[in-house]
Amino acid sequence: MKALELKGLSAAQSGAAGTSGEVSATEEAVSGRARGIGQICRQLFGIPDYERYLAHAAEHHPGAPVLSRRDFCAQAIERKYGTSGPRCC
Amino acid sequence: MNKIASILLWPAIAIVGAFSFAALALGRGENVSAVWLVTAAVCVYFIAYRFYSKFIANKVLRLDDTRQTPAERHNDGMDYVPTNRWVLFGHHFAAIAGAGPLVGPVLAAQMGFLPGTLWILAGVVVAGAVQDFIVLFASVRRDGKSLGEMIKMELGPTAGSIALVGVLAIMIIILAVLSLIVVKALTGSPWGLFTIAATIPIALIMGVYMRIIRPGRVGEASVIGVALLMTALIYGRAVANDPTWGPIFTLDGPQLAWALILYGAVASSLPVWLMLAPRDYLSTFLKIGTIVALAIGIYYVAPPLAMPATTRFIDGTGPVFSGALFPFLFITIACGSVSGFHSLISSGTTPKMIEKESHMRLIGFGGMLMESFVAIMALTAACVLDPGIYFAMNSPSAAIGTTAANAAQVISSWGFTITPDMINQTAVDIGENSILSRAGGAPTLAVGMAKILAQAMGGKSMEAFWYHFAILFEALFILTAVDAGTRVGRFMIQDMLGHMYKPMGNTEFLPANLVGTGLCVALWGYFLYQGVIDPLGGINTLWQLFGVGNQMLAGIALLLCTSVLVKMKREKYVWVTLVPTAWLLITTLTAGVEKIFHSDARIGFLALARKFSAAAAEGKVLAPAKSIEEMQRVAFNNYLDAVVCGFFVLLVVAMCVFAAKICLQALKQANPTVHEIPPLGPAQGVPA
Repeated sequence: MKALELKGLSAAQSGAAGTSGEVSATEEAVSGRARGIGQICRQLFGIPDYERYLAHAAEHHPGAPVLSRRDFCAQAIERKYGTSGPRCC
Repeated sequence: MNKIASILLWPAIAIVGAFSFAALALGRGENVSAVWLVTAAVCVYFIAYRFYSKFIANKVLRLDDTRQTPAERHNDGMDYVPTNRWVLFGHHFAAIAGAGPLVGPVLAAQMGFLPGTLWILAGVVVAGAVQDFIVLFASVRRDGKSLGEMIKMELGPTAGSIALVGVLAIMIIILAVLSLIVVKALTGSPWGLFTIAATIPIALIMGVYMRIIRPGRVGEASVIGVALLMTALIYGRAVANDPTWGPIFTLDGPQLAWALILYGAVASSLPVWLMLAPRDYLSTFLKIGTIVALAIGIYYVAPPLAMPATTRFIDGTGPVFSGALFPFLFITIACGSVSGFHSLISSGTTPKMIEKESHMRLIGFGGMLMESFVAIMALTAACVLDPGIYFAMNSPSAAIGTTAANAAQVISSWGFTITPDMINQTAVDIGENSILSRAGGAPTLAVGMAKILAQAMGGKSMEAFWYHFAILFEALFILTAVDAGTRVGRFMIQDMLGHMYKPMGNTEFLPANLVGTGLCVALWGYFLYQGVIDPLGGINTLWQLFGVGNQMLAGIALLLCTSVLVKMKREKYVWVTLVPTAWLLITTLTAGVEKIFHSDARIGFLALARKFSAAAAEGKVLAPAKSIEEMQRVAFNNYLDAVVCGFFVLLVVAMCVFAAKICLQALKQANPTVHEIPPLGPAQGVPA
């Protein structure tokens, strides 16, 4: 489905690819797709998406300090559930 | 090319839909395949989406992709994130789909499959999807404001405060009725209770894992959680049959009610990462997985509909709930057709993630169509059961007694032939001791799902597993809702008390938190406990009270949408919201007033209260009450229910007055008076 190409996905991939060292093009494509599926799942189920946050920070606030994975997830969960609106019946 | 495909496609969908309806309509007297029902519904959804939602998007709302959405304006990579529309569609759907669309249609199946189907389809296209879509639109145009804030902005601060009190009252009733469904499903069911109880330590393990052992690794924790959950489900049967453990997990209604009240109080006081968040992930996985499995199962198995198109209970004498088709069908099926609670979700997190205005059509309108599809599947699952089994499970013991022999005799006398052996065999098949009087929808749906899924996968021997899987699926997200709802209720109560005594409003102040939590739990716990010990069967009363409240909230949300359209000077299209508003007000005000004042004691709260208090005063004990004390309790509770119902009626009448006043003022103005965030200036990219 064409519509499933995620906006910001390429930014997330390039953000994370810097740490992976040298990999062949096919391996990169496969792991890129896996990351894409992982990201879709995270967004679908409302799981905190640290990679997307890193990509966002790299794009919009380069050089600024970023939250650690632990702190980011803790804050995201606290904001989502701590003062969450009513749940559906 | 696309044009030709479209010209061929839509008539094809219309023909398939018409053919499916014809199969349903002409197949009287013989069993119709459930596939026709589901196909007819899907065709209606596609056509409604393609034509009606497009009309609303382009003509009525005039969605404009050049306008900034809150996600673009505040993009922070955390809360405000422009999200792919298909992903957000799934996310929004998971947020709006709960127990509501599963329970209402099952209860309404006592009137046959046709009335429920028609109301679900007509209601969702004309009312439910329109409400969700326009509330989402209004919130996006107001920087992601909540329903309460929007009512305050557009209808004035008094209307806003009244609406908030109403939301709290509706939420208390929802928490009570959801808990009651869990109690009814788990009473005397050690396998079910063990599995549900196991979700508590599993959630704690997941919470600790993703916070302390592997910080932030939610995905890994979820995999572990799902694996543990399935293990608990499989070993639940051994636990239930164990001579020591079996009796420990066999609780009666009042014990379960107390357990739930205690759970609500403790769970809502724990940090969210420890219990609520992990449990919510689990419940979302199960929810989406089960719904997909059920859809595939129905098409693969193609079970025949055993329930007739209509039953004689459309006259209002049904054992599941009392009251005639009009108006009570329209409050029994709320979610799936139109649900006021969605207006709170559509103005919650979803508007903060919308990437472009045009996406709201898929997410708001389409998301609600998807929920309606779930309701149709729930109705299907209930209607593929033998009607005798359906009535054995859903009638109160006051009507059918407590033995299979008695129940079979009574239900057969209604015209639905059933033998005691069939009732007992069904209980054996699903691994339970009894199926009698398990009102509340969840067990019926679970039996229906178990029949369908077992035919698709695993055969007869797997029926018990699928039954408990379905119970787990429902109980899991109900318990999540109880936890989250108690928290929200606490915030709202503290907010209100804070106006009277400042320190009560401080959510960091422990005594204030304890008072808030205690009050919230006490309120829904009271209604829950009364429902559990109600000799007439609590679902009968509480579900209708919930239905009235939920539809009233939908009425309020649609009144807001109407006011928004008028204030935008789109009065030419105001019928889009005015027609569903009028229908909701007519049905719910009629139902509300009948519930209070109807002279038939099976319907009217006051009539029943008077009947019981008069008899108690004379020292007579009326069945099914067993003592004068029980008689007085029945009378008191019905007076209380009448007060709550009356409150909902007054609330919606007051909102009507506010909205009418605002609309009349706006009609006199030459220009739009709506409080939207203006579009960006043409060149500089700043608000004009």
